[in-house]
Amino acid sequence: MNWYDVVKAMLPEHLLLAGMVILLTLEILRGRPRDGFVVAFLALAAAAAAALTLHMEGYTGAPFSGHFSVGPDASLAKFALIALALPVVLISRDDFAETRYYVLLLASLYGACLLVSSDSLPTLFLGLELMSMPVYALVLLAQLRADSAEAALKYLVLGGTATATFLMGVALLYGWSGSMSTAVFAAALGSSDTLPVAGVVLVVASLFLKAAIVPFHGWAPDAYEGASVPVTAFMATIIKAGVLFAALRLFETAPVTRPLVDVLAVLPLVSMIWGNVAAIRQTSFRRMIAYSSIAHAGYLFYALLGAGPGRAQAVVFYVVVYGIMNVLAFAVLPRGTDDERSDRLESLQGLYQRRPFAAIMLGIAMLSLAGLPPMPGFVAKFLVFRNVLAAGYTGYAVLGLVASYLGIYFYLRVIQYMFMNPATADQPAGHPRRLALAASLLCLAPAIVLTFFPGWLLDRF
Amino acid sequence: MGEATWLNWLLWLPALGMVAVTALPKGRDSLVRSVTFGCMVLQFFIAAILYQRFDGTVAGLQFATDVPWIRDWGVGYRIGLDGLNVLLVSLTAFLGPLVVAGAWNAVHKDVKLFHVMVLFIQFAMLGTFLAQDLFLFYVFWEAMLIPMFLIIGLWGGERRIYATLKFVLYTAFGSILMLAALIYLVLYTHGSSGYMTFDLRHLSGSQLPLNTQLWLLSAFALSFAIKVPMFPLHTWLPDAHVEAPTTGSVILAGVLLKMGTYGFMKLGFPLFPEAARAMMPVIMSLAVISIVYGACLALVQTDIKKIIAYSSISHLGYVMLGLASLDLIGIQGAILQMVSHGLVAGGLFLMVGMIYERTHSRAVADYGGLARMLPVFSVFFTILTLASIGLPTTSGFAGEFMVLLGAFNAAWPAHLAGNDLPLTLAVIAVSGVVLGALYMLWLAQRILFGEARAPHAPLTDLNSRETAILVAIVVAIFAIGLFPGDPLAKTELAASEFQQRVAGGTIQLGSAR
Repeated sequence: MNWYDVVKAMLPEHLLLAGMVILLTLEILRGRPRDGFVVAFLALAAAAAAALTLHMEGYTGAPFSGHFSVGPDASLAKFALIALALPVVLISRDDFAETRYYVLLLASLYGACLLVSSDSLPTLFLGLELMSMPVYALVLLAQLRADSAEAALKYLVLGGTATATFLMGVALLYGWSGSMSTAVFAAALGSSDTLPVAGVVLVVASLFLKAAIVPFHGWAPDAYEGASVPVTAFMATIIKAGVLFAALRLFETAPVTRPLVDVLAVLPLVSMIWGNVAAIRQTSFRRMIAYSSIAHAGYLFYALLGAGPGRAQAVVFYVVVYGIMNVLAFAVLPRGTDDERSDRLESLQGLYQRRPFAAIMLGIAMLSLAGLPPMPGFVAKFLVFRNVLAAGYTGYAVLGLVASYLGIYFYLRVIQYMFMNPATADQPAGHPRRLALAASLLCLAPAIVLTFFPGWLLDRF
Repeated sequence: MGEATWLNWLLWLPALGMVAVTALPKGRDSLVRSVTFGCMVLQFFIAAILYQRFDGTVAGLQFATDVPWIRDWGVGYRIGLDGLNVLLVSLTAFLGPLVVAGAWNAVHKDVKLFHVMVLFIQFAMLGTFLAQDLFLFYVFWEAMLIPMFLIIGLWGGERRIYATLKFVLYTAFGSILMLAALIYLVLYTHGSSGYMTFDLRHLSGSQLPLNTQLWLLSAFALSFAIKVPMFPLHTWLPDAHVEAPTTGSVILAGVLLKMGTYGFMKLGFPLFPEAARAMMPVIMSLAVISIVYGACLALVQTDIKKIIAYSSISHLGYVMLGLASLDLIGIQGAILQMVSHGLVAGGLFLMVGMIYERTHSRAVADYGGLARMLPVFSVFFTILTLASIGLPTTSGFAGEFMVLLGAFNAAWPAHLAGNDLPLTLAVIAVSGVVLGALYMLWLAQRILFGEARAPHAPLTDLNSRETAILVAIVVAIFAIGLFPGDPLAKTELAASEFQQRVAGGTIQLGSAR
């Protein structure tokens, strides 16, 4: 073990850890509450810069051979995750003064970074759990409404189930192969024995649960609605991205072909349809975004079909665009003192008259999530479906596209509310906040780059 | 500056205008209008220069730009003028300033957003016409939805939200299947030629089996047919037109509907020629049904805007008939008819808007004897009515006549070969001319003549701004009607290439059965 490698390869993780340590020290020393925000932001910025540098350098290294390795792709994924957390932290300050909020957030990110680099199933498991566990607490932390506790509990129980399922699957895979490497998963995919197939199914089921794929999606609407806005933004983007990177890690070297493809395609397809249809009926913004995220999880798993190297490209591009747009939406969302009321979709009515910038940003986010050109969400959707078609699953591609069509309506309805409906009297004023503005600009800049030069990100694979 | 630079300026000028207008300070409405108008005028001049310098005797693209965009997939920023799009680009650039001028006093709510959206849609429309890359085409094609959604939904009539959602959901459905088809086409070409590209020149060389062609063409055709719109996919149009503000209607009728027919001409037929030939009887029949059905519906409407909306369905049926005839004269007639309809229907919608601004009524029954109250208005309305009917010396005549001639040209050999369908359809299509005369003249008679009445009388006649807009349109109508040779010379080569590609040289309609 080379110490230099350990320091350099894990530099983003180390910086996150350093941030956590400082935050905990501050908590003990009872520093001013505002310091937590600053430290967390600086730690994130440093970690993001470190990940970007590693990527630019094309650094590869395996400080813990067989368990943890870093390549340019992994560094890029880490950069995406950490950079997405930056605007989330910016919009957090008004909701959370406590240092522990930021500790939990950094811890969760640490887990996400870990799983991106994992080479063995235990490391992957460690990453997944480290990522999920702080979020159970985060959902509860704001306690905005009475049912926040219920939402957190639901999330915790189902998350625990996912953990158990994952472990069971890993155990079966280990029993079959005697190895803990992630490559076992790929081998098991190609096998027709009962034992490895059962292991694969259990692992996939746990990933579906964590990514909220129908029928394992029940927790998402409650958790999204029950949590506070920054936490929902965190869950919808970074946690979802983390789970998908974990899936990518497992499927990276494994072609998804028949007969397994039907299992892996049908549930995501159902997710797209159900998520998009159910979102139409929602009256709460966060609940609607939850259903939208269920549909988007479907697209993301679709991207794993086939065998080509385009899958990693599709997943990362999709995750980045989807993350940016979701955070943008949450950053500009007008917030009142009464969370339950300001979360209602009707409270967006006439937003363009009151706060044109917020309305336009939210509109851009919605159009991009709907996958309409020229928004970057279109290129992301295009990538996914190009992969599915290239893999030869024309039927699934057409059905998926039709499912994505179903989603257009509810995104447009948000725009209709903001631009076309008159404002009603009892709306939360929702003052523009400087930090939220900074967060939205932080999202807007990459969104513009990706609109005009999607190749900038695509060529990195 | 190189010549290609001019074309890039033409395309990107509205986009720059969007940025400029967005940056203007709040509350300066007239400044917003002036900047937008200036941008459009500048753009029109560039288009006019390009039109003049476009050489109809040279095959292929002119003023072309070809830069890689997403290198991985072979997507390029490829734009250029050719015989198929040169007239439509000019039409778009010509209508741009008129649209802005027409809305000068009509829009008072969110003026800035309105003009940004008008520039946005202008940008997207020009991009769709100019794109020589399938991916780029699709991006522009879909990008048109967003500004139109807002234009109808924000500044439209009472049922505007219903109408705009219907419009977007209708058109988006067609596009989603087109997306699947275009990815499939590119992947297929990739498989057979070994490299991935969205370049249209390359794609049109791919040899697909007939069965695949039929599927892909159906997907493309669905999208285009919704936009045209062809019977039975036309039901969004009357709602959109009636609820849209004047600007929306003019853009919709003037340019947006031509996207569908242009799509057939640029992509649908040339990419899948065998399938196109096989489907031609169906397309022709639908075109003729659209002609007659649209005309019949126009006859019974009581709303002036609806009459013109349904007349659009009928007139675009001629365009489809001309394209489907696969006869050189018919195809050229179709192109001319597209331009003519853009001018005439655009002008008529502008006029309906002008009278609506004065009276806030569009019901035919509310008007009568306008000829005495509004003489200037009535003169222009009569001219546009006659152009819509296709009176000789107007652009409508040249287009319609050539389409029908083409249809008969194509039908005769088929008739001799024992296939009477094309001939029957051509004969039925002629009846559309009569019906067209009937509903337009009846409309003119009802509102211009007879007992003088109108809501909010006495009315003021057209002011100089409105007159200037209409003079520009009428001059263009007569220019094309009297001298169709010039535009036809620019399109002839491209049209014959299209014909040879789709008809396969000697194969005529009917023998494809």
